[in-house]
Amino acid sequence: MHLFLLATALLLAPQNTAPAAQDAETCLACHSNPQLVTTTGDGTATRLHVDGATFAKSVHAKLACADCHTGMSTVPHEPRPFRTQRELTLAYDEQCRRCHFANYTKTLDSVHQASVARGDRTAPVCVDCHGSHDIQRPSEPRTRISQTCARCHQGVATAYVKSVHGRALTTEAATDVPVCTDCHQTHDIGGPHQQQWELRTPELCGRCHSNAALMKKYGLSTAVLSTYLADFHGKTASLRENQGTTPTGKVVARCTDCHGVHDIQKADDPDSPVMKANLQKTCRKCHEDVNANFPGAWLSHYEPSWKKAPIVYGVKVAYSVLIPFMIGGLGLQILLHLWRLMVNR
Amino acid sequence: MKDSVVRFTPIQRIEHSTVMSLFAVLALTGLPQKFYDHGWAQRLMGLLGGVDTARFVHRTAGVLFSLVVVVHISRLVVLVAQGRTSLALVPTRQDFRDAIVTLRYYLGLSDHQARFDKFDYRQKFEYWGLVLGAAIVVGTGFILLYPATLTRFLPGEFVPASQLAHSNEGLMAFLVVIVWHIYNAHLNPDVFPFDTSIFTGRISRHRLRHEHPLEFERLERNERNKSSKIA
Repeated sequence: MHLFLLATALLLAPQNTAPAAQDAETCLACHSNPQLVTTTGDGTATRLHVDGATFAKSVHAKLACADCHTGMSTVPHEPRPFRTQRELTLAYDEQCRRCHFANYTKTLDSVHQASVARGDRTAPVCVDCHGSHDIQRPSEPRTRISQTCARCHQGVATAYVKSVHGRALTTEAATDVPVCTDCHQTHDIGGPHQQQWELRTPELCGRCHSNAALMKKYGLSTAVLSTYLADFHGKTASLRENQGTTPTGKVVARCTDCHGVHDIQKADDPDSPVMKANLQKTCRKCHEDVNANFPGAWLSHYEPSWKKAPIVYGVKVAYSVLIPFMIGGLGLQILLHLWRLMVNR
Repeated sequence: MKDSVVRFTPIQRIEHSTVMSLFAVLALTGLPQKFYDHGWAQRLMGLLGGVDTARFVHRTAGVLFSLVVVVHISRLVVLVAQGRTSLALVPTRQDFRDAIVTLRYYLGLSDHQARFDKFDYRQKFEYWGLVLGAAIVVGTGFILLYPATLTRFLPGEFVPASQLAHSNEGLMAFLVVIVWHIYNAHLNPDVFPFDTSIFTGRISRHRLRHEHPLEFERLERNERNKSSKIA
């Protein structure tokens, strides 16, 4: 699809009959000059230098300059009405969609695009994340993704690097731990405080944490999602997700409320909010003034058993015997009664 | 002489109607919480206006049901202490004998039928099942309603244990009502389509003689002795 669009774009560009390399050479005749500047409407000097070697190594090396920079066929170029360099960058964002239409439509649903639409000129457009003349595959190496986001989101990025996920990525070079975009999406990045996103948290974490092969590698349990869903918080989250709403100000505890978000740690890390010693404090985030017994109400993702939660397990076993016995017994008596009535006739 | 006699007092009839209505509300708002991951439960929750509305209704009905239980038991304690109530619902050894006689009759091992007094063993079983079940759902219900307060006195594990006990006891009560009570009060060929006694408070002499012969004989004896005492 992209290739087709690319081919079409090339065919539809009558001023670009020369092959790409030649085209770049033509432009670089001027633009390889590091001193080349122009002055934008606000009076600032804007450098127009392009490093030919960097461009030749980019994924777009085979494109012609004019594929993106349209309307430059006359030399010297027609004056452009931009007041600032940022205005120019924002205007050039339109060029990417000609080939990358699918990703462009996704960005329309993103928080970044929402900021752009509100008139926030600092909100990122394509080139702010992907680069321009130096454009490379965004996920090579994988660590590059969080570094890209960190350019603006420094606070969360610092927390992430110290988290169990971030440490595994940076120090163990693990390729299967989540980077920013695994949870937040790439082009259609949603607002993390949007209700739908909040309600979907267990599903999001569950994508990896209920994957048996992946969890085995890290020695983690896959029962975390099912045990969460079976408890009060999980049931509420499920039922509210189906409703699609949460009453204002009432959010039920999801994974991140207890475990943390970007600063998430191993459950046995002394700093983890779900470490036993810290649990009472964590519960108190929502349940004010609860005492030390209260965290015991949560079975820490364990399935009830004689060892882990004997009272709960006892109740479970008792009813799994009692209910069939009771209903079976009563049903049998009804059938016997009907049978006797038939015999009597 | 009237062809029917009084079986239930107005207070008993009101108690039955109240428990019946509250039970229906509690089952309707409670079961979809237990079966939260089933499609029907989620659709039902939607019809009820969402889980938060359903929970509010469930808790309100639960508190009202608790009040009915407390009033019923307190009243009973006072009446028993004053000797102003019959103890016809207290299980006796005769009930076990009646159950065995009935089972032998159903199985065709005997043509002899048990002769019951005011309440037969099945009715006593259902009454005491309701009382014990109510004690469990009310007790665990309050633990679930006020977990932070009650874990000041109880270990935390009581909360998930209560959740299991509450929902399973509720489910069992629902199934007993659907299977056993609906049969005995509606589908049983002896009373089909509707045993109206608990609503009208009266039972026909004909049915009383068949279903509660010991009570019927005592009634006739008392009438012969020109006493107005019924049971």
